[in-house]
Amino acid sequence: MFFIELIICFIATVGFGVIFSVPKRALLLGGGIGVVAYTVLSGGLYFGASPVFSTAMASLTAALIAHFLARYVRIPVTTLAIPGILPLVPGSRAYFTMLAFVDGEYLTGLEYGVETMLRAGAIAAGLVFALAVFSFGKGIGHRYETSR
Amino acid sequence: MGKSDKVMDICLLAGEIMLTNGAETYRVEETLERMAKAASMKNVHCFATTTGIFLSFEEEGKDDHMQMVRVDDRLQDLNKVTEVNQVSREFVSGELDVETAEAKLEDIAKASVPYPLWLIHLSAGIAGSGFSFLFGGDWPDLLPAFIAAILTSITVVEFERYLKVRFAAEFMAAFIGGSVAIALVFFGVGDNINQIVIGSLMPLVPGVPLTNAVRDLMSGDLVAGVSRGAEALLTSLSIASGVAFAISLFL
Repeated sequence: MFFIELIICFIATVGFGVIFSVPKRALLLGGGIGVVAYTVLSGGLYFGASPVFSTAMASLTAALIAHFLARYVRIPVTTLAIPGILPLVPGSRAYFTMLAFVDGEYLTGLEYGVETMLRAGAIAAGLVFALAVFSFGKGIGHRYETSR
Repeated sequence: MGKSDKVMDICLLAGEIMLTNGAETYRVEETLERMAKAASMKNVHCFATTTGIFLSFEEEGKDDHMQMVRVDDRLQDLNKVTEVNQVSREFVSGELDVETAEAKLEDIAKASVPYPLWLIHLSAGIAGSGFSFLFGGDWPDLLPAFIAAILTSITVVEFERYLKVRFAAEFMAAFIGGSVAIALVFFGVGDNINQIVIGSLMPLVPGVPLTNAVRDLMSGDLVAGVSRGAEALLTSLSIASGVAFAISLFL
């Protein structure tokens, strides 16, 4: 059953690659990264980690692989990272947030809304961590001019 | 026309193509600075935001140059970003001279999307139905989600082509996708209405601005990052209000 989910995830991610006009040589790579991200997310949930933490780990994994492959095939990293993180997008939570607000159940809506925001933030956090790993020595000055 | 004018032209053309088609701000700035430096310009500075690019440099012993381009459209065509990236890489390494680089960039600017429109709609359908399954749908939900997602994609593309209104296209597409999903379930195609509606909306997800916002904020382009984040937020809100409209009308 899980295997079928992975195949569907691969096909859907490749479909998303076509929507974003990802170049042909990166389409299947993007699909593969999406499958890995979905596997990490499902694995985290299976072993009892919280959805937010699992999303962050999956996003980190996807972004790290995207950075490696982008260097290897000489392609901008976004073309791989965007399809890679799409299976993590909290579309379901966002929809139920909207549904709760339409029904006038504001408390439920807020609950779902906070979870949506946290999951989106977790995706961003994963991207940021991967970026930090790959930009050692290239970051921008932030506090003191220590090299002076 | 001197050499520096020519260099300015190809740099700004490259930057405009990249920024229009969904490159990150830092990539635009870095590419332009590298290209200008490779053409032996001095004192190169580039400033790009989500909506415009400024580039200034001086030619040794001659005048200073400073120009800007304004970027209105924001599309999602990552293929063009990749191709411009390739051209700039070859230009910096000296494989291309200024004239061939300009010709190549103009070809890229004129080229259409790498995939035909029917294939984009079809893959929107496939992606939508796939995600409706992943979000907890069932086998019978695949077909209605497929149809609704295709109609969503067609609506957003055609609405933008003829009426050219930002955010309204997403609103209409979400409304039509949601309505079609509700209608299909009403006529007995598919069971889980929530999963079908989610699937039909997935092709509208603003993936490019979302990812670029994070990237821009991280590399210190605060203005560009915040504005891209606001764009992604507004797109999501217009999708949500479109489908909320459909649900409160028909459900």
